Amino acid sequence: MGMTITEKIMARNSGRDHVVPGELVWTNVHTVMTMDYLGKTCFDKFRSLGKTEVFNKDRVICVSDHLVPPPNQKFATMLNEWREVVKQHDITNFYDLGRQGIAHQIMVEQGHVLPGTISIGTDSHANTYGAAGAVGNAIGVTDAAVAMATGKAWFRVPKSVKFHITGTWQPWVMAKDLSLHIMGMMHWNGHLLYKALEFTGPAIESLSMAGRMTLCNMTVDLGAKNGIIAPDAITQRYLKDRAIGDWDMIASDDDAEYDQVYTIDISDLGPTVALPGKLDDTVPVEKLIGTKFNKAFVGTCTNGRLEDIATIAKILKDKQVHRDINMILVPASQTVYLEALRAGYIETLVEAGVAVDTPSCAACAGIHTGVAGDGDIVLSAGNRNMTGRMGSKKAEIYLTSPSVVAASALTGVITDPRTLSL
Amino acid sequence: MIKGKCWVADDYVMAYDIIIQEYWTSAIDAAENSKWVMAGVKEEFNKENAFKDEGFTFIVAAHNFAGGGKSIEHVITGLMGAGVQAVFATSFARLQFRNAINYGLPFVTCDDIDKGCETGDELEYNPETGIITNITKGTSFQSVPAAPFVAEVGDAGGLMNYVREKIANGEPIE
Repeated sequence: MGMTITEKIMARNSGRDHVVPGELVWTNVHTVMTMDYLGKTCFDKFRSLGKTEVFNKDRVICVSDHLVPPPNQKFATMLNEWREVVKQHDITNFYDLGRQGIAHQIMVEQGHVLPGTISIGTDSHANTYGAAGAVGNAIGVTDAAVAMATGKAWFRVPKSVKFHITGTWQPWVMAKDLSLHIMGMMHWNGHLLYKALEFTGPAIESLSMAGRMTLCNMTVDLGAKNGIIAPDAITQRYLKDRAIGDWDMIASDDDAEYDQVYTIDISDLGPTVALPGKLDDTVPVEKLIGTKFNKAFVGTCTNGRLEDIATIAKILKDKQVHRDINMILVPASQTVYLEALRAGYIETLVEAGVAVDTPSCAACAGIHTGVAGDGDIVLSAGNRNMTGRMGSKKAEIYLTSPSVVAASALTGVITDPRTLSL
Repeated sequence: MIKGKCWVADDYVMAYDIIIQEYWTSAIDAAENSKWVMAGVKEEFNKENAFKDEGFTFIVAAHNFAGGGKSIEHVITGLMGAGVQAVFATSFARLQFRNAINYGLPFVTCDDIDKGCETGDELEYNPETGIITNITKGTSFQSVPAAPFVAEVGDAGGLMNYVREKIANGEPIE
């Protein structure tokens, strides 16, 4: 019996020829990521294991993303303690304020994720790494501390579910729409619990790395263990000047066994929106045309990449954000920010009346930079819309793609970007 | 054998509501995290020590307990600090299922348990057999027994102890 790509990665990294779903394995991890508000605890726990040196100084990746730039004294002090502990352990790859970005963006963009390997991070959207053909997994600080000490993590080999995506993408339809569509179809509350989700098919083969990251990113919100796309020419091109280390074109065997296989024809998919409160309460944008909102947000580890910024810049070029809308863009990393500046997108967006802020998790974590207040109705390209997620419990969050956010920011009400004459 | 009264969730319980946003950046500490644990689940628990003071030993819930996608361990330490010794549900969100294993807090999968208990019922759990007895109602349920690794980690008092001991003894982790 053949193996799926996730099974192969689990086998390869646990020194076995073969694994089957349900089996428990200790695997080697390629990289361990932790961030500002949990990182100090990781290092403290790591030392409590009786170790002083991490398993590999180049492979413990430290990022400041949730608390930067510090909006208050508490966070400033936490960041100081964090910097101190990272320095103390002589960590090679420290992406602190000035070189920062959202950890998951940093991990892929800076080449810390390699096809065929396993990378873990102390934040739920670590599933993003699957875009590079790796198993990306979210873990707690305990697992991170253990991996820092030993270079290993334990896993139960998951069953795999395949999403085979065919057809051609309609204009302005993005990977986010597919994510939300799958959310609506499979439900948010864990119907894909513990599963490895594998995305294949012509519409995935034509999808950019940015889109692949969006798709894998939100698999955690389906309850899945990981989301993965086998490496191909697009992965190769993306990783060529970034990846550190050797890798191969690992793929599922033809006779691999899947728990379920779903085929989706993307040609039928239009822009999609999740209604406030639940991620799986999704509707086609047509059903919400004319719905009022007052805040527009583009950013996060889901949709803060160059391609997302290029999309909103294309829609807003030489136009003005509606006077009743406050729109914020937070690029996913300093690198993305610089690329967007050089491409002229930032200028276009500032001219259009978009506020651009320093790369961070921003309002997505509800702790700073554009948080929602009472009565706010936010149209967000982020990843979660639960009550209170972006701040006030009396605010509502609609989730959608960057193209819907930009088209709607232009008109002041929820708008289908396909209907704009651009 | 663990014995005590249970709290039964009347709705889907999210990790988000077990530990609300303003405490995500707190230290991971059972005493601290338990003060406001479950604050977002029910208005009556949104007071300092409100859930803890109820003295529940077990939580009974339905599908995807502690879902919604937070990997923070405050969820587990908060429950443990409040005296919770096991959670029974029809399924668990994977991030917190994993954290619970790492802390040695039994997250026990059991079909139909949510329909067979009411808040305040006296339950007894046998970790060896996986049998959950509802003493108040005189019924019992067979849960999924813990996998050997999970039991081993639980016996060690959590993954930190388990790994610390292996490192100290120079044993391989495999």
